[in-house]
Amino acid sequence: MTTGFWHQVEAVVHRDLLRERRRGDVLWVTIPFGALALLLVPLAIGTDASMLRDIGVGMYWVIVMLFGVLVAVGKASRETLPQQDASSLLGLDPAAGFVGRTMSSAILLLAFEAVVGVVAVGLYNIEIIGVGWLVLTLFIVAIGLALLGTLTAGIVNSTSTGIALVPLLVAPLSVPLLLGATQSYDGLRYGNAIISWVSMMMAVVIVVSMIGVLTARPLQES
Amino acid sequence: MNVQTRIRRWPWVAIVLAITVAFVLSMVSPKDDVQGELVRIMYIHVPAAWLAYVAFFVTFLGSLTYLLTKNLKWDRIAAASAEIGVFFTGLTLALGMIWGKSTWGVWWTWDARLTLTAIMFFVYLGYLALRRTTDDPISRASRASVLGVLGAVQIPIVHFSVVWWRTLHQPPSLVRPDGPAIQESLMLVALIVGVLAFTVVYVSAMVKRIELIHLEDRRIEIEHSIDRPVAGDSVVVPELGAKT
Repeated sequence: MTTGFWHQVEAVVHRDLLRERRRGDVLWVTIPFGALALLLVPLAIGTDASMLRDIGVGMYWVIVMLFGVLVAVGKASRETLPQQDASSLLGLDPAAGFVGRTMSSAILLLAFEAVVGVVAVGLYNIEIIGVGWLVLTLFIVAIGLALLGTLTAGIVNSTSTGIALVPLLVAPLSVPLLLGATQSYDGLRYGNAIISWVSMMMAVVIVVSMIGVLTARPLQES
Repeated sequence: MNVQTRIRRWPWVAIVLAITVAFVLSMVSPKDDVQGELVRIMYIHVPAAWLAYVAFFVTFLGSLTYLLTKNLKWDRIAAASAEIGVFFTGLTLALGMIWGKSTWGVWWTWDARLTLTAIMFFVYLGYLALRRTTDDPISRASRASVLGVLGAVQIPIVHFSVVWWRTLHQPPSLVRPDGPAIQESLMLVALIVGVLAFTVVYVSAMVKRIELIHLEDRRIEIEHSIDRPVAGDSVVVPELGAKT
């Protein structure tokens, strides 16, 4: 593999998406499970329409955060040690591998957000406000979660506990994304400025991507 | 008593001395007009919270330096500091809950500072859990260092949460642009001495824990390097012409 950085990224994204098309883990397992979770919540806490409308956005983002981790976990469990060794021997730049895996995860997470979002709007009667900001938030959260998931999957890869540790690591670290996403919606709803929340999420994305790219090689060598 | 024994004992002497002074000062300081005797929790709660930040910041510095230098010494510093930081964060949360029950009427409230502190606690529990997944010191150090750097993002968010959000938790007591919030000088002295005493405890615990981690690494190294018997060792090759 002697191609440039972005060609390597493209190859990794293509490989991951092809693998997903063959296995359908996100499409046939994670997305239906997320939609089912949204259906179960009102059965447990009550079916009052106005209450569900109030908590709907928050529930949606919680489901995205928790089930988004499953996307990262699934990808980590598929990447075996011999496959990683083969990629290294082919000359895959670890940073390109990290960016590629992150991009493919982000694409899958966007699909998850879109489908589960439609279900949440339908079940909880959520009001859609500020479409532009909403789409931007969806993109930032998908990229941020994908970055955290890929980075932590790289950290725990081939350890004794392995992927079981990923949710414990990703869930608390994704709190700034959860806060940013929910507070942005509240800001739009009550006519407040949301730029500070969007900036906070962007800052998380920038910091985690820098850490991920810079530590890709030492993590691979470990 | 030889010099080596004296050096080994100094952390314990320093801890006992510092805690005694801090305890006496916290007891002789006046009670609060509003909270009464309950204010004495502050002399442990605030130093514990402060030391938790310091400990996690040291974990960040140790992790970053390990990634740059690949010297395992820095990873040991990061690990020891994270363990102590988790202890101090747990102590902060537990005391905060006791204080909260008495002043707010509830053990827990969904306040930004409380919630983010609990989340920081879980981030570093994850860090410690990650360290237990492998025995190889180099592999462990590389993985944990990345998380040690990543986890530090939480520290400023937790500290400034009382400034960024309107919270039930009071703003910073000591480090403020307009000076400390505590006006009573003896209370302020007791609090500062408490912070210093906890710092002594932190430094002493760090010295001991780093030493212990180094010994654990040595044990693993020795275990791996011992010429262990391998499968087939017990089978003796028959000699040609030997009498049976």
